[in-house]
Amino acid sequence: QDKAEPEEEAIYRPLQVTALASPDVLLSEYRGTVELGLGYTSDDNFMFGRYNGLQEDGATLIGNLNWQDFSGDSNWRVTLSDLGLDTREGEVTWQNKNAFKLSLGFDSQQQVNNNSGATPFRGSGTLTLPDEWVYGSTTGDFSELQASLNYFDQEITRDKLFANLSTRLGDRWHLSGGLSYEQKEGTGDISGAMYTDAASGDAAYLPMDIDYETTEFDIGLSYAATGLNLEARLDYSDFNNQDDILIWENPYRSRTPDSMGGMSLAPDNDQLQGRITGQYIITPTARLQFDGSYAVASQDNDYLAYSVNPNAVVTTPLPRESFDGEAQTGTLNAKLWLRPINKLDVELFYKGRERDYDNPRDGYTYIRGDGLSQPRDELTVYNTSHHYQSQIIGLETTWRLPKRTRFTFEYEYEKEERENAAVEETEEDRVVLGLRAQPLDGLTARLEFGYANRAADTYNWDQRYYALLDVELINATPDSQRYINHPELSQYHLSNRERTHGKLDLSWLPTDNWLLNFNMLLQADDYDKSYLGLRDAAWERYHLSASYTAVKDVTATLYGGFDRYETEQMGRAFRGGAEKNAFEIYQPLPQASDPDRDWQLDAGNDAITVGANIQWMVADDLKIEADYSYVDTEGDQTFKTYGAADLNPEDLPTVETTLHHLNASGTWHMRKDLSFKLQYQYYNYESNDWALEGVALDSIDNVLTFGAYNPDEDIHYVGVSALYRWQ
Amino acid sequence: QDEPGCLDCHAQEDSPELHQVFNSAHGDVNGGGAAACTACHGPSEAHDRRGRRVSPDISFGPKWGSEPAAQNDSCLACHESTGGKLAWLGSEHEQENMVCADCHDSHTTRDPVMEVETAQTQCLTCHSRQRAELNMPSRHPIAEGKTACTDCHNPHGSTTHAALHQVTLNENCYSCHEEKRGPMLWEHEPVTEDCANCHTPHGSVHDNLLTARGPAQCQQCHSAAFHPSVPYGGEGLSGSMNANVAGKNCMNCHSQVHGSNHPSGARLTR
Repeated sequence: QDKAEPEEEAIYRPLQVTALASPDVLLSEYRGTVELGLGYTSDDNFMFGRYNGLQEDGATLIGNLNWQDFSGDSNWRVTLSDLGLDTREGEVTWQNKNAFKLSLGFDSQQQVNNNSGATPFRGSGTLTLPDEWVYGSTTGDFSELQASLNYFDQEITRDKLFANLSTRLGDRWHLSGGLSYEQKEGTGDISGAMYTDAASGDAAYLPMDIDYETTEFDIGLSYAATGLNLEARLDYSDFNNQDDILIWENPYRSRTPDSMGGMSLAPDNDQLQGRITGQYIITPTARLQFDGSYAVASQDNDYLAYSVNPNAVVTTPLPRESFDGEAQTGTLNAKLWLRPINKLDVELFYKGRERDYDNPRDGYTYIRGDGLSQPRDELTVYNTSHHYQSQIIGLETTWRLPKRTRFTFEYEYEKEERENAAVEETEEDRVVLGLRAQPLDGLTARLEFGYANRAADTYNWDQRYYALLDVELINATPDSQRYINHPELSQYHLSNRERTHGKLDLSWLPTDNWLLNFNMLLQADDYDKSYLGLRDAAWERYHLSASYTAVKDVTATLYGGFDRYETEQMGRAFRGGAEKNAFEIYQPLPQASDPDRDWQLDAGNDAITVGANIQWMVADDLKIEADYSYVDTEGDQTFKTYGAADLNPEDLPTVETTLHHLNASGTWHMRKDLSFKLQYQYYNYESNDWALEGVALDSIDNVLTFGAYNPDEDIHYVGVSALYRWQ
Repeated sequence: QDEPGCLDCHAQEDSPELHQVFNSAHGDVNGGGAAACTACHGPSEAHDRRGRRVSPDISFGPKWGSEPAAQNDSCLACHESTGGKLAWLGSEHEQENMVCADCHDSHTTRDPVMEVETAQTQCLTCHSRQRAELNMPSRHPIAEGKTACTDCHNPHGSTTHAALHQVTLNENCYSCHEEKRGPMLWEHEPVTEDCANCHTPHGSVHDNLLTARGPAQCQQCHSAAFHPSVPYGGEGLSGSMNANVAGKNCMNCHSQVHGSNHPSGARLTR
C-alpha cells in the first residue's frame, strides 16, 4: 500500500504474507531436469494409495522429467511424471510464437477401493459359483462359502490420451479444439437383488467389470474486438460401455430354483452441446456478459429382456426395442454490469436452466426380480417424464465507502418448475448483506448475513404414484398399494425451507511476517412445513490459520478447524391399511395415521482438522519441506420414539475415523546441476464404520457381502532420488 | 529505437529470479529482451531514469504495487479474450481486488498455479474451509494432484454458480462421470436435477462424498409403507444383521441409485 495516500482513498487489497510458492531457481533456470530414484512402501493398503499409485508394498520407480526450450521462434516443453506408477502422466507442448499451440498428452489415474473383501463368484460378464457350491435359502446355508472365496482387488484405472490445438486466425479470431479418448477399466462392485415378491429379497455383492470408453471432441472459435468478445464452442462426448448386463448365478437357489440374476449396466450415451459465451462492452461503465448453451444427451441402447431367467415366463412383449431417449438441456446466464457512479457497482442478472426429458412413455410389465415368473397385469408401470426448469433473476449492488469499506446487497428470486413431482413449483427469495472493511492496513474483516425463503406449492404427495400408472391401472390396483410416500413426507429438495447463514472472516497482519486468519460459517436450514422427512439441518464451521514468512528462507503455516453438521429427520413406521389418504378413516385404522408410530433421528458429524507445513531453505544448497495433517471425524445417529411399543431403535454406534499423515522431504543441491532428494511419508488411518465392522460375508441372512474390513493402516514410504539438470 | 535499459540494472547475477522470465513464454513478448519487460511493466521511462526512487509504470509488487486494475489490464491486454477470462469483471476474485500476480508468477517457466500438482496450494491459502474438507475420508484426488480446483472452477469468473466451468453443476460432474449422464428409462429425479442433493463435492465423512449416510439419507425422501418407513438402529447390527442397516443398507437391493435402464428396473434394483 502507498502509505502517503490519504486513507479514505487507499485501495483495498487482500492481506497476504505468503508470496507465491517461490519456484526453486535451480530447477527453473535449466532447460531440462530429470529425476530418477526408488521408492519403497512398507505395506499393502487402500487408503494411503487410493489415488497415488502406492497401494502395494515394495519398491517403485521414481521418474519425472521436465524439458523445455523457449529460446527460438517456436518453443516446446515436455513433462513426464510418476513414470514408475499407475498414476503417470505426460504432455508435450509445441508453441510457435503467437501463431499456434499444440499439445499432446496422456494422464493415468487410479482409484483403489476397499481391497479386503472376497467373493465366491468367478468370471466376468457372467458370474458363476464354483462346482462345489452348496446352495441355500440364507447365507448361513452356504456351507462351502469359506472354501470358495476368491480375493480380488477393487481397483479402477483411467487412461486418457488427449490432443489440444489452438491457433490465431488473424488479429481478432482464435480457434481452439481438443480431442480426447479415455478408457476406464477395472473392477468395481454392485449389489444384485433376487426377488420373488417384495417381502423376500435376497442379495449378493457382485464384482463388476468396468470397461468404459469416452471420446470427446470440442472446437471453439473466439472473436475479440474492442467492444465485443465472443466465443462459440461445440462439444461432443460419446460414452461407450462394453458391457450391457452383469449376469450372476443365484447362490440362494434353494429358495428360488432355476433362477439367474441380471443387472443392467450403465447404457451407452452421447451428448452434443453448443455454447456461446461473450461480453459486449456497451460503455466503459456498462458491460453485458452472457453464456448460453443447448445440449442434447441421447441414449438408445437395446433393451435387455424383462428377465434373464428363462423360467420367468413373460408373455407380454417389451413396448419397444430400445429407449430412444433424449434429454435436452438449455441454459442461459446473462449479467449486465453497470458502474453508474465511481463508488457503486450494480449487476442485474438472469440465470435460466431447463432440462427437457422428452421421451416416449410406455407401460412396462413390472417383474420384481429374476427369481420366478411373477408378472401381474396390474403391476405395469410407466416411465415418467421429469421436466425441470429453473429461472433466477437478481440484483447485486456494491457500494464502496471510505476507509476501504465495501457494502454489498444481493437479492435474487428463483422459480423452479417440475413435472410429475410431488411439488410442481417452488419459489425462493434470497437476500444477502455483506460488509468488508479494512480499517487498518493490517486488518480485514468480512461479515455476511443471508436469508432465503423457499415456498412450495401444494405438496401432491401422490403425484409420483399417479405418474407411474395410468387411470385404468390405478383403479385396478388394491388400495394398499396406491402409494409411493407417506402424505406427511416432504422431500427436502422440494419443500418449504427457511435458510439463514452468517459468515465472519477476520484477517490480521500483526507484522510483515505473520498473517492470522479466523473464519466462521453458521448456517441453518429450517424445513418449517415438513412433518416427516428432513426437518432441520445446521452447519457450524470454525477455522483458524497462522502463516509465517521470514524473508524467502522460511515459510510456515499452521491451521486448524472444526466442522459440525447436524440434522433432524422424522419418520413414521407404518404398514398395511389404506395409505392412499392418511386423513380419511378406513377400517381398520391404518398405522399411517397414528402419530405414536413416529420416530426421530438426530444425526451429527464432527470433524477436527489440524495441519502444519513448512518450507525451509536451511542453506543455499539444502531445502526442507514438511507437511502434516491430522483429521479426526465422528458420526453419531440417535433415535427418539413417540410411544409405539414395537418401535425401539437403539442409537447407532459412533463412527470414528482418525488420520495422521506426514509428508517430509529434503533436497540437497550438491552441484548446480545435480541434487539429491529424500522423501518420507508416514500415514496412519483407522476407521470403525459399522457398515463394515463385524459384517462378515454371511452376517446378513439375505445379503452375501464381500466381508470387507475397515481400514487400519500404518504405512511408511521412503523415496530417494537424484535430480540432474542440463542447459 | 534504443532498447529500454531494464537489464542494465536488473542483471542476471543480481536477480536470477527475474531472469527466469527469459526461459518462459513471457520472455519473448515484443521480441524479447528488455522489450519484454516494458510489454508488461509499461515504458517506465521515469523508473529508467531515476531507478529506485520511482516505480515502473506498472508494478506488480511487492515494493510498489500499482492499482489492481492497472496490473490486471496489463495481463488482460493479451489474455482477456482467451482461456475463459471473459467474465473476469465482476467475478468474485475481481471484486476482492485480487490481481493476476496474487496467484500467477509470470516470470517462471512453471507457474505453480498452472501445474495441477501445486495449483491447489494457492487456492487453499484463502479457501480454508475447503482445505479442511479436502482431507476428509471421502474426497477427490486433489491432494495427489490428479484433480485441480480449476478442473471444476474457473477462478477468472463465470456466469454459473460457484464459477463453475460447465453450465450446470451436473454437467460439471458428468464431464468425468459420463456413465451417470443417461438419460435412463427409470431416472432418480434428484440425480438429474442436482448431484449436490446427495453429494458434497469437496469432501465428506461419509463414503462416496455423501452428505449423510444410509439408510437415513434415503429416508429423508422415502417413507413408503413397510420397510422404507421403519427406523433402523443399532439393534440391526447384532445377531443376524438387518439388511436395511448393515453393509450397503438400502443399496443392498436398490443399487441403481443413479437410474436404471432395465425394463424391470422401476424400483432401481437392477
